[in-house]
Amino acid sequence: MKYIKTILSLVIIIFALAFIINGCAVPQSIKDKSGAQLWGENCNRCHNAPDPRTYSDDQWDAAMEHMRQKGFLTDQEVGKIRDFLKQSN
Amino acid sequence: MVRQLIAGLMLTGMLIFPAINSIAQTDTASHPVVNSPNGGSQKVLFPGAAISQYQYTQVQGSKGFGSFSPLTLFAIPLIKVNDNLFLDFAADLSVNSDGSATPGFDELVVYYRLTPWLYLFGGSFNPRYGIYNGWLDDFTNRFGTGVSPVGMGYGAENADGIGIEGAFQAGYSKIYYQLYTSNGPQVVIDSLTPLSQGNLSGQMNQSSIIDNNRNKNVGWCIGYLPFSNSNLEVNFSGAYTPQTGNTGTAYQNINNLVWAVGLNYYHLFSPIMIRAIGEYDGIQTSKFNYPIQQTDSTFTTYTYNNKYDGWFYGMTVRAAGSKNKWIKNFELAARIGALNPPSDAPWGGSSINQTTVTLTYYLNWDIPLSFEYDVLTQNGAPTQKIFSTVLFFRF
Repeated sequence: MKYIKTILSLVIIIFALAFIINGCAVPQSIKDKSGAQLWGENCNRCHNAPDPRTYSDDQWDAAMEHMRQKGFLTDQEVGKIRDFLKQSN
Repeated sequence: MVRQLIAGLMLTGMLIFPAINSIAQTDTASHPVVNSPNGGSQKVLFPGAAISQYQYTQVQGSKGFGSFSPLTLFAIPLIKVNDNLFLDFAADLSVNSDGSATPGFDELVVYYRLTPWLYLFGGSFNPRYGIYNGWLDDFTNRFGTGVSPVGMGYGAENADGIGIEGAFQAGYSKIYYQLYTSNGPQVVIDSLTPLSQGNLSGQMNQSSIIDNNRNKNVGWCIGYLPFSNSNLEVNFSGAYTPQTGNTGTAYQNINNLVWAVGLNYYHLFSPIMIRAIGEYDGIQTSKFNYPIQQTDSTFTTYTYNNKYDGWFYGMTVRAAGSKNKWIKNFELAARIGALNPPSDAPWGGSSINQTTVTLTYYLNWDIPLSFEYDVLTQNGAPTQKIFSTVLFFRF
């Protein structure tokens, strides 16, 4: 029980800090990043960046939801990368 | 009480939000374009993978032995039901030594979007643990998969439960998190195997499906990407299980804590891309007097300090920016690691050290052909040298 209280306290503190940090303004340079740039930066974190022609529009929709969860992409990143892949396939 | 409250809140949320969403969709659904290739809300991707391997093992002092491994086939249907609901499924089919095939179940997770940075999920899932587990594992492993790092794989895996996760931008940095509750691991009680033959009592079975007690496991993963280009990632993950033994038995209150720190960094010094990846794992199980049967059918007990750790660190080099298509598809990787088991446990022993060198050629962006060489050393045991050729064919 001692461990569980410590862990839960830590998690709550981290969440509180995260929410505060989340309130930080996102710099304009981050907001202005293109889908192509985010595609290169985020895909290469874990694996080779795929060719946009690999999948159809609908398939990219499903694939990007998968990567949102597996790669912990933000909502903005998912939207921009998905649009880039759809436009480029 | 706190755990039950959290689990109750999560479960309530999982039931209520999809219901509200389905009502809202009934009221506002628009008519899809007839015969449009992109019509309809449901989007499906049905990728798969097949793994084939040849492995040659040379144990010091004996003749080497090589064998082709049977194919393993994976099916990974991904279904985006609508903008809020997503289903992630993974199953495999392995060929046995007698030619028969055994189906396996890897993941079945339902995700529901509550906010852009908060997703609810439930089902059978691979929790994020360290820098590989739960991250598409083999897909992200650049060292072949002939021999897994000895310093990992002793933590949280194959959980059945519910949780929350998400990611958000915080200034130039990015933060992600996962918090879940699941059945958790179960302690292995082995009262028959003699101590001299490696009695297994005190080890954890991480792949338990049905819980053996009322207490639940709590797991977490917090990740931080400090730079705006997401090229450095550090995370801290773990799981705590207050009870791992069967309810009503003396083993009930044996608890287990696992934790891991992971690091992943890559950078393109054009045309060379380098990557550094590492992980440190710690495992601690509470002490207990385990019974063991003697030859005269009486029982004695033994105990040990059930605490151990493991680690690995590796680097890769690839001419990713080369204009030569042939050269840019090669990647060279080297990794060192160790497992330090509980020295006084019957199943423990002295530390195992591992050195790995791998040369990979990418036939396609997602089809690596790896040539891997591992050396495993342990005090008092013969050195093992293992050569593996692994092909991941994805489709």
